[in-house]
Amino acid sequence: MPRSPLRIFFATGSWAILAFLVLPILVVIPVSLTDTAFIGLPKEHLSLQHFDTFLHSPEWLQATWTSIWIGIIVAAASTALGTAFCIGCWFLSDRAATIARWVMIVPILVPPVVQSLGFYKFWVTLGLIDTHFGVILAHTLLALPYVTISVFAALTNLDRRIPQAARNLGAPLILAIRTVILPSIRPGMITGAIFAFIVSFDEIVGVLFLTVRRVETLPKMIWEGIQESVDPVIAAVATILVILTLLVTAAAVARSYAATKPHPS
Amino acid sequence: MSEPILSVRQAIKTYGDFRALDAVNLDIREGEFLTLLGPSGSGKSTLLSAIAGFTALDSGVVHAKGDDITRLPPEKRGLAMVFQGYALFPTMSVAENVGYPLRVRKWSKAAIRERVTECLDLVQMGQFADRMPQQLSGGQQQRIALARALSFKPDVLLLDEPLSALDKQLRADLQWELKALHERLGVTFIYVTHDQDEALSMSDRIVILKDGAIQQEGAPNELYDWPRTRFVANFLGKSNCIEARMTGRDGDHLIAEAAGHRFAVHAGTGVAETGKGCLALRPERIRLGLPGDEPFTGRVKQISYLGERCQVLVDHDVLGEVLVSQPTWHSGVRPEPRMDVSFGWDAKACVALVDA
Repeated sequence: MPRSPLRIFFATGSWAILAFLVLPILVVIPVSLTDTAFIGLPKEHLSLQHFDTFLHSPEWLQATWTSIWIGIIVAAASTALGTAFCIGCWFLSDRAATIARWVMIVPILVPPVVQSLGFYKFWVTLGLIDTHFGVILAHTLLALPYVTISVFAALTNLDRRIPQAARNLGAPLILAIRTVILPSIRPGMITGAIFAFIVSFDEIVGVLFLTVRRVETLPKMIWEGIQESVDPVIAAVATILVILTLLVTAAAVARSYAATKPHPS
Repeated sequence: MSEPILSVRQAIKTYGDFRALDAVNLDIREGEFLTLLGPSGSGKSTLLSAIAGFTALDSGVVHAKGDDITRLPPEKRGLAMVFQGYALFPTMSVAENVGYPLRVRKWSKAAIRERVTECLDLVQMGQFADRMPQQLSGGQQQRIALARALSFKPDVLLLDEPLSALDKQLRADLQWELKALHERLGVTFIYVTHDQDEALSMSDRIVILKDGAIQQEGAPNELYDWPRTRFVANFLGKSNCIEARMTGRDGDHLIAEAAGHRFAVHAGTGVAETGKGCLALRPERIRLGLPGDEPFTGRVKQISYLGERCQVLVDHDVLGEVLVSQPTWHSGVRPEPRMDVSFGWDAKACVALVDA
């Protein structure tokens, strides 16, 4: 391989950009292992004390648990709604359905601040400010596009004659959907649910707009923690999050890969 | 004749400006093997889909054993269908696929197991019960689709181009099997295909469709021997089309005149008895001879060797190009390119067509 100056320039540039993207994320790991009482790199030796603080702090554990159960409900709700939407569109498969699919994806394109402002105005009217339900509802709406993208990908691989065959063999529409369509698109639904959980779990802008004191999620705790104190426990939490996110994303990618891979014949 | 098991009356279906079905009337007799044959866009699949309940007709009715089923959803019609591409359920094993209609009908587990085994044996797929559909070849998937459709003992089996995805040899084998299965089970088969060989080899009766309307229906040999229209004459096998002048009726046949010769032709109802007419003549009904042996004289233009048969294109001054098909193993004239030959045919070998 010839090493032209241009080549070296671009290779260096690529690595620099990659490092710029990844380093801020990775820097939390050494910081979380610090032996000092403030945010900074370890001075004398590595320490797990801040992980220990996290695991024994009721506030942190409470916020973590809140984020987890909200995430689970959001994943379930958005997967149910998104799948129903996709199957409906798939059956229609005309222009209206195509337009509906595009409209469904628009929330991804709208800036989160604008969206949160909209939620805020509307949730005030509905009396949902500072309620868990309000957050769940907002997160479900934010997660829906991700679910529809993933479920639609699974549906496009499905032969339209398959539900027809089920009905021809005696299954009414609902039974045909339950016994034949849902099992076939399950990989897409699971991938969608995982993405929905991630969207909810690390969502911060909406939570800041919609909650005051009663609802405390993990991202909000971190945000407030960094403003009020320099406690390295934040770095410990961040490290746990980075590792968890990597694991869950890897699982989601592996799933969608398995779903799109053709079966051996 | 007993009451038809299915009947379609005045079925009309349009997609925008396109008339998929144009006032189709059709009766299907119990136990027959009926084939809907036509080119793509002829409406044959739309007709099958309307019978199965997947396509809503604009107008017209479908009756099953006297009951109006026009507005009945597909799952309540009890007509089994074998789909193009098989449409096996990918998440279920072969046994689960075949047992699906029975589970939907809430059969007991033991009864389902017994019937599934029976159906798989029927299509010689007994040892594949635990496989997944993706692990089977096309022909094997086809058999499973057949077993699945037959498992709930339907009276009527609808087949939508079931062999179109298979290679030629396998297709021929499965044609025999389908025909044998039909005779053994006594189930009414409605078979859709665009393949004339499939239609001729299996059917009791063929319905030929074109542009959403029935062109002609009848037994395979009837349609082949006595086509009524130019379309049928050319779609079902090959035909020479001979322009002739009709000079009148003589008993049960008509007299036609072409290139200075008069001969008797077969004529169905609705054929003009005088004036210009068009005759269909099958290539294998034409005899070749040396000049002077037969009434018409021409020159061999091209020869195409097909193994068991040989096709000879003969140029005639008035009739134009005439296609002759001869067995390769015969004792008559062996034509060569650019050779002068004579040709002729027996009385009533030609059929007068309706669309002159």
